[in-house]
Amino acid sequence: MIDGTAAHLVVSGITKRFAALTVLDRVDLAIARGELVTLLGPSGCGKTTLLRLVAGLTLPDNGHITIAGRDLTKVPPHRRNVGVVFQSYALFPHLTVAGNVAFGLNVRRRPKSEVAAAVHRALQLVHLEHLAERPIAALSGGQQQRIALARALAVEPDVLLFDEALSALDRNLREEMQIELRRILREIGATAIFVTHDQDEALTMSDRIAVMNHGRIEQCARPREIYTRPASLFTLQFVGLSSRIAGTVAASDNGRIQVETPVGRFEAAGTLAPGDRAIVATRPEYLRVGSDGGGNTATGTIRTIVYQGSRCLVDVEAASGQSLLASLSGDQAADLSTGAPIRLSWPVTETFAFPAPEARP
Amino acid sequence: MSARFAIAIAWTAAILAAAFLLLPLAVIAAASFSPTPVFDLPITGASLRWYGRIGSLDGFWPALGLSLMIACVATVVSLILGTVAAIAIAQGRMPGAEAISTALVAPLMLPGLVLGIALLNYFRALGLTATTTSLLLAHLIITLPYVARTMIAGLARFDFTLIEAARTLGCSWHQAILKVMVPALAPSYLTAALFSFLASFDNYPVSIFLTDARTKTLPIKMLQYIDEAPDPTIAALSTLILLATILLLFVSDRVVGLHRMAGTGE
Repeated sequence: MIDGTAAHLVVSGITKRFAALTVLDRVDLAIARGELVTLLGPSGCGKTTLLRLVAGLTLPDNGHITIAGRDLTKVPPHRRNVGVVFQSYALFPHLTVAGNVAFGLNVRRRPKSEVAAAVHRALQLVHLEHLAERPIAALSGGQQQRIALARALAVEPDVLLFDEALSALDRNLREEMQIELRRILREIGATAIFVTHDQDEALTMSDRIAVMNHGRIEQCARPREIYTRPASLFTLQFVGLSSRIAGTVAASDNGRIQVETPVGRFEAAGTLAPGDRAIVATRPEYLRVGSDGGGNTATGTIRTIVYQGSRCLVDVEAASGQSLLASLSGDQAADLSTGAPIRLSWPVTETFAFPAPEARP
Repeated sequence: MSARFAIAIAWTAAILAAAFLLLPLAVIAAASFSPTPVFDLPITGASLRWYGRIGSLDGFWPALGLSLMIACVATVVSLILGTVAAIAIAQGRMPGAEAISTALVAPLMLPGLVLGIALLNYFRALGLTATTTSLLLAHLIITLPYVARTMIAGLARFDFTLIEAARTLGCSWHQAILKVMVPALAPSYLTAALFSFLASFDNYPVSIFLTDARTKTLPIKMLQYIDEAPDPTIAALSTLILLATILLLFVSDRVVGLHRMAGTGE
């Protein structure tokens, strides 16, 4: 993770309760200057609350927040110099585009010429300088999104926060904005936190992803690591597709375990003890047709084949109804047909094992 | 064919209804220009002499002053109280918010006479005998429902995230209210103020119970003038009040647009 001394924004031991409900439970997070970290999780996991705590719109029950070495835990939002782009954009309807972008600078009583220059710069960055005198109501959703960003950027905040900022846009526009936003944030070297429940957005945009569940950060790592080396069953399930097979640990040796399941015996990296209930899992990309794809193999019949262009997603029904998902390249999937028997194999190094949850929630 | 016929009937009915509503006002306006003390048709000429007489009506200026003062003070106080109450209701974390919002609007449904008698007894029981003070309090009860109703509706559509956005951009809480909420709600404020002012200014049934021989509001004084000397001076005064109201509506329309005030358009 990140060295605490280099971190620009540090959240340490933050706890937040609403009545009896603990929304955030001793959360730690350190973000380097210029880094974009995504808080990813299902609704109710506490990601938006964490964002609001950083912005100062909510106060924590315990813990500290520092930005650039300054303790901001009790500082009100207007003295934090933190920019927020809200899900609803929250543009001021009584002001023009330029009026919205200038708002933060006017509140700070900056000289007129300086405000005008900053507004022009911010609008240029989002490619909307030609709309400066328009009323807000005349803008499309994508344009409003950019103006909300320009307004937050104009005051040169220490940290930029995005609360589900792209989720109101339609799919094409959203993907375009993801790339656009990434470009802008790189250009100005902004430190940013991005809250989303959309895993694709998180994988596309982030330097690191913090996967959140039940008020805790389950894993905070680079997108590739989150996907290929999930640290918990929750991360595995929440990000990307996977095949998961429940079983019992039969043998454990030197960081390798053997798990006995209804589908067969699988080897995985792990430290569980023999007799423990475990779930072995892998990602669909690692499965190959035949026996030479790796040390773990299973057989079953093909339930469905979903054509995805360059690849095919094949759902295989193994013993006792267990489902295995394989993402196969076009030529590998060419001869397959629904109902046919199939043998699949995958490498031991890409097989994960997690302790099985106590009871199904 | 039958649809066009039905539309034609609807139009006719609408025009007749509008004429029925507006014709008395036209008659008053016509009467105010009558050259003779007794108004009769057909009109034989036009004169402004009755307008000149308004100022010399007995006790006119004090009554006008009192009515304007009460309408203004009641409106300003209701705007503040109504907004604060509406914020509490719109934020919705208060138990019984629905009941409170109904109670705030309830005086609108009460007959003015009932409210007048009730307030008279209530103020007597409290030992409140100062006429101006009791008039002010009574008019506050008359105007507050108009303001509360408009502000509750306005705030229900107000996005409180705007306040948070303003705060992250450097506004303290009260700055955010003044710079963002007040301008965003300007149409609601204007509507509320207009209705409140007019409701207070032309109130008769409540005021009649609370005025005394020396302290009278304009509507009460006007009725007294009609009893004493029914000449077109009162018609002239009525026409002036009508013109002032039209001017007020016209300016409001220019500033925010009547359709925005009525909440029927974006």
